[in-house]
Parts: sequence; structure tokens; C-alpha cells
Amino acid sequence: MSDGGFVRPVRTEVNRGFWEGVDDGVLRVQRCLGCGELRYPPASRCPRCLDAEWTWQPVSGRGEVLSYVVVHQRYHPAWSDRVPYNVVLVQLDEGPRLISNVLPLSGADLRVGMAVRVVFDDEDGVRVPRFVSTDGTDGATEPN
Amino acid sequence: MGWRRAAISGVGVSRQGKLPDETPNSLAAEAFVAALDDAGLRRENVDGLLTMPGTKSPEGAKHYLALGEQLGINPRITGSLSMGGATAGVLIQQAALAIDAGMASTVACVFGDTAKTGGSRFNAAAGTDTDSWGIWGMFGNAANSAFGAQRHMARYGTTSEQLGWVAVTMREHAALNPDAIMRERITLDDHQSSRMIVDPLHLLDCCIISDGAVAVIVTSPERARDARSAPVDIWGMGQGHTLEKLGRPDWWYLPHQADCVSDAYRMAGVSPADIDVAQLYDNFTISVLFWLEHAGFCAPGEAGPFVEGGKRIRLGGDLPVNTAGGNLSESYMQGWLHVVEGVRQLRGECGPRQVDGARLCLVTGRGMTLNTASCLILGGTA
Ligand SMILES: [Zn+2]
Repeated sequence: MSDGGFVRPVRTEVNRGFWEGVDDGVLRVQRCLGCGELRYPPASRCPRCLDAEWTWQPVSGRGEVLSYVVVHQRYHPAWSDRVPYNVVLVQLDEGPRLISNVLPLSGADLRVGMAVRVVFDDEDGVRVPRFVSTDGTDGATEPN
Repeated sequence: MGWRRAAISGVGVSRQGKLPDETPNSLAAEAFVAALDDAGLRRENVDGLLTMPGTKSPEGAKHYLALGEQLGINPRITGSLSMGGATAGVLIQQAALAIDAGMASTVACVFGDTAKTGGSRFNAAAGTDTDSWGIWGMFGNAANSAFGAQRHMARYGTTSEQLGWVAVTMREHAALNPDAIMRERITLDDHQSSRMIVDPLHLLDCCIISDGAVAVIVTSPERARDARSAPVDIWGMGQGHTLEKLGRPDWWYLPHQADCVSDAYRMAGVSPADIDVAQLYDNFTISVLFWLEHAGFCAPGEAGPFVEGGKRIRLGGDLPVNTAGGNLSESYMQGWLHVVEGVRQLRGECGPRQVDGARLCLVTGRGMTLNTASCLILGGTA
């Protein structure tokens, strides 16, 4: 992270299942065994009921763009040659929200409310969940 | 009317700008001495010290130890708190509660930083306990506010030009403030042609970064009436915080800001129509729009038209906002100067930028990405 390279995910006991799912091409979030709540970001306990037991639940990977920004400022060496690029706040159909990007990173056709589905992109040898627009399609035509 | 069980009896401001020979604590001491003088107090009168470490303070959470040693204070209450732009309000509230409870009689709340000289860029990756959002290129404070701006635009038709009117109007106010750092007037065209930082936020949507310090002396209303300067009473106080971020569905709309302001109104026994002047935390222009809505000065979604043309929010308008220039143009003291300007307006000390007959001022702060918020309603006695 400090060498200026890509900010690599740090796998811990709590988020390992998320990143292992991504490795396998499956978007998963935690499902609380106490109350059934689906949660992201990964946490050791459920913020709803504070239960410490969970399983990893595959989700559809479909959702909508709650908001987006286009970064022009060169904040970080790994991203400096990619400006301008987008960052999006995605609401998954199943409920949880996450931060990601819509491909292409430089894409200009973003809008709030846009339908998206997850894809798995390669970033310096690490698989990272990103999204593509499914606006105007049924979203089911392209394989991941 | 109003809570009025504590008051602000002194404010002190150090030099502001780029001050390469100073440290956060040397500036904090300068502000502290100025605040004592403003209140007509001696250091020995101060029995509480609450501090906010600067971004370049090496002591972190132990900041009160170093500053207390520098100031020669052995206080009855002390501590340091880092809640970003909400901290000034929160510390003043803690001081007020301690005074009301009899745990201290006169509390200095102090902040100092050398963010400009020290090169603080406010560019850290945001994120959660488990994953940095830097994985997706999300860095810096602007991106978080830009999410809110973009959604406000999509949902309500708010425009970049409307945000620009906030920048232009705050600069007009700064031009009337001899202590402001950015005093050269700007136009809407200047705003629109300033480079994009994080779309939809341009450079002129962003606050400046500065070195400097501020101290605020809080005491009982009775003691404040013996001070050198006119006392300013605390009528209402409130806080609200969203710590879950992604876990709260409307996080982007800062629902905790509405909570903190409504608590303060209730405590003060007043409504938005009673407020004469407002100092609204403006790390970015969009923040002013959110505060206008959350504080009830306009309905949700109507802040864009409210600020358009600057007519309502400028001096002489229905609700003069950030009359000293704010974080955008006066100096970036993370909301501390918003308190100072509120006090000075209520004392009638503001010369060409004075709001005639200002009697009640709403002061807000917000920090830590989008997460913490505080509000003070201050009442003048001058
Ligand atoms: Zn649960």
C-alpha cells in the first residue's frame, strides 16, 4: 500500500470468505445465523443483533447505482495514470451496499439509478468485484 | 427562553495561513492567550482544558497532556477528542455540561494545526474495518461529499452552478473579513472553469487548507457577565452520528445532521425562523446545501434554489451564512472559526460584515468522512 502499488485487499478471518468467493467468481456477503440479516462490509458480529455466527451467502450480484463520482485528482500512484475514473456506491438487490467501480473505469454513461451486475476484474493479479451496466437489457445475456 | 446554563466568555484566534515556523501547540498557545485576553481572564481562572489534536499533532489522543504542560494548567477536567469538523461543537458541549454539573468553572476548548505547512492532503483512503476503499480507487474527503452531491443532483435537479453560488457568496463575505486568507472575489465562471477534483465537485467547491489555531472559553452565564467582552449564551446543543456508513440506507443524505439540529432547536425552544445568522460547516459547497435542509431553512431538495444567486445567504439576505467566509474562504480551522464568527456576530463586533440586530446564531459542524455532526444555538446579550 505504501509502495505506491495497487491497494491490495488484506485478508482476515472476517473478510476471507468474501475474497475467496471473489476468487471463485461468486459475490458473497455474510448472513447472520442469529437474525438472518445479510451484511456488508464483513464484520465479526452482526450490527443488527450482535450475534457472532455467520455463513457466506451468495447473492445475485445485481443492483443499482445509488450514487457515483468521477475522480480527476491524482490521489494515489496506482490510480494516477487512470484519471478520470469512476467510483460507485452500489445498492445490491438483496440489500447490502458496497463501494466499487463500473467498467469501463473511464465510462461516462453513468447515472444514479442505473442497473448494474457484478463482474470479476483482474487488478495486478488479484480478482476484484466491479460492475457493468445492465440498463436496457434484461441483464442476463452476458456470462461473467 | 433557551437552556442558557453555560456561556462563551472569550474567543481567541492565532494567525492563520502558512506559518512554517510554528507547531500545532505553539499556535494553540497563541490562540489560548488571545482568548484569555478577550475574556479578561488570567490563566489561573481556567480549570478545564478540552482539546482537539491537529492533523499534524504528534500526540494523538494524548494531546491534552502536551498542551496542558505548555499552558501550565492542572485542570479539574481534561481530554482530547478527534471528531473532525464536529469536534468544536462537541467539546464546547462537554465543557458546558461540566460547568452546569459543577465539575469545572471555566473551560478552555482548544484546537491547533499546521495542516498547510505539514502538507496534510486529506487524501487517505476511506473504508471499513475490514477493507480499504482504496481497492476501488476511493481516496480523499472530496469523494464522500461528491457522492452526496451527485445523488442530490439526480434526485432534486440541483446543479453545479447552484453549488458555485455558495463558493461565490462565501468569498464575498471573506472579502469583508480582514483576517480571511482568500479575499479575492470570484465569479460563477471562475467556479465553473476551476478544475474538477472529484466530479461533480470542482476545485472551488473545496475548502482551503491552513495552519492556525482557535480557543474558546466556556464558563457559567454568571461568570460570563463579568468578562471583558459581551457574553454569548448557549441556548441549545445537539449531536448526531452515523457510525455504520454503508449500513445505514440513507447515509449519503447525512440523516444524523437533522437529528443534531432538531435536538438543539428543542433545547433552545426556538425554530428556524428565529435564527438570524448561520455558520454552517462547509468542507465542500454541497455541505451548506445539506445543512440548509437539515436545519429546516428550506424543505428537503430545495437548497439548490435557496442558494441560487446567493441572494438569501449573503449579508443582507434572509439568512446570512458563513459571514466570515467559512472553511471555503476564511481559513480551514475545521469548524472552530464558525463558532468564533457566531460569537462575534452576536457581540456586534463584525464591522462591515455585521448582521444588524443578530440575536441568535446556529453553528454546525460535521466530520470524519460524513459521520459526526454537532450543533450549537448561541444567543447574544449585547
Ligand atoms: Zn443478526
